[in-house]
Amino acid sequence: MNKEELILKWLDNDLSPKELQAFEALEDYESLTKLAKYSKGFKAPEFDTEAVLETTLRGINAKKSTTKKWFQPMLKVAAILAICLGIYYYTTTLDHSFTTDFAEKSSIELPDHSLVHLNAISKISFNKKNWNTNRTITLDGEAFFKVEKGSTFHVKTDAGTITVLGTQFNVKQREDYFEVVCYEGSVQINYNTGKSILKAGDSFLILNGKVTTATTTFVKQPEWLSHISAFSSVPLNKVLEEFERQYHVQFDTTNIETNTLYTGKFTHKNIDIALKSITQPLQLSYTKTNKTIILSRE
Amino acid sequence: MQKSLNNNVCNENRFNALFNKYAKDLHHFLYYKFGDHLNPKDKVQDAFIKLWQNCNTVSPEKAKSYLYTVANNLMLNAVAHQKVVLKHQKIKPSEHSNESPEFLMEEKEYRKKLENAIANLTEAQRVAFLMNRVEGKRFKEIASLLDISTKAVEKRIYGALKKLREDIEEL
Repeated sequence: MNKEELILKWLDNDLSPKELQAFEALEDYESLTKLAKYSKGFKAPEFDTEAVLETTLRGINAKKSTTKKWFQPMLKVAAILAICLGIYYYTTTLDHSFTTDFAEKSSIELPDHSLVHLNAISKISFNKKNWNTNRTITLDGEAFFKVEKGSTFHVKTDAGTITVLGTQFNVKQREDYFEVVCYEGSVQINYNTGKSILKAGDSFLILNGKVTTATTTFVKQPEWLSHISAFSSVPLNKVLEEFERQYHVQFDTTNIETNTLYTGKFTHKNIDIALKSITQPLQLSYTKTNKTIILSRE
Repeated sequence: MQKSLNNNVCNENRFNALFNKYAKDLHHFLYYKFGDHLNPKDKVQDAFIKLWQNCNTVSPEKAKSYLYTVANNLMLNAVAHQKVVLKHQKIKPSEHSNESPEFLMEEKEYRKKLENAIANLTEAQRVAFLMNRVEGKRFKEIASLLDISTKAVEKRIYGALKKLREDIEEL
């Protein structure tokens, strides 16, 4: 038996007494046993199987509960998603609205390229979401519409609803004053007490509950778009209200009759000229103090 | 029926039995292979936890190699391939207590050399050698634990022995 086999048998604790003798006779015997003896010093630290099993099982139970915990983060994610969706839904279905201030005019293009010109102190709101199937605008104030062809177009006001199919018209709805002027095509007006159809050039007015329809001289667009307010046989107080909207001033009318009918125009660009064009025909005089204008008889 | 029941380890008793059977050897295997600083005990726990999580897919026969593979991989993920230096536990046999200072000095030196030499072994050699020498395991047992042939175990251990002696003498 050669040396290697002997050593291997020794390593495997498989030496017979005779082989052991032969092994002990080896010249390497001493160094081998020394090596063997000291190698034992590298023993792995004690491994307490019981204790580790216990902590492992605890670990498993902890993991089990953490597998349930996926539900919590999922809930958070779901909540965030719900909020986002809610905001998205809310903002997309929310009506878009545009308002104008004193002396301000504004043009708005609707999703179908229809145009809306807003006069001072006016507000429109509409819903972008299903615009193509439901073209409805809510109007408070005065606006001129250039409607593209498409589905029926509604303008809702407190005084009535105007329905059109593609046309140009102006709507003016102020306190107990409701005027619609059609410039192109035709419009249908449904108001509290009936309905009326306007052709191009027709105008429609409800003033203090009284309905008047008239054929105006044909113009392309309302004059306020050229910064002029035009009236025909309109009570002075309505004219002054419009003036206040355009210049952001206050009138003191305690000394005059405000029911006088006024026919004429005033510009939005120069307050003195505008005041004169109102006061002169009615033989009134005015005094300006800051934002208040006192009117009096001449 | 019996067979299908035994097909996985999703049973606490069976799992505990597996733990008692393999955990210690697995721990020592990891210790000898990777040393102490990467905490072999934790890896043993993690491997068993993983076994439990996948208990449906692991049959008891496969459990051992599954555990060794998982634990080994966990170690490899953590290891930065440092040299494994095992601490020599200075449990002195009583006979040495009144040795001469020269002898103690020599002994200390020898241990240091052995420590370095063991660190220089390949992982495979070190594991097989220490399992044999420290744990007193027979070649056959080691072969079955490491899923290699007895011949390969012989080769590793003998190679380790040879290399250790060379290293120690050289130093």
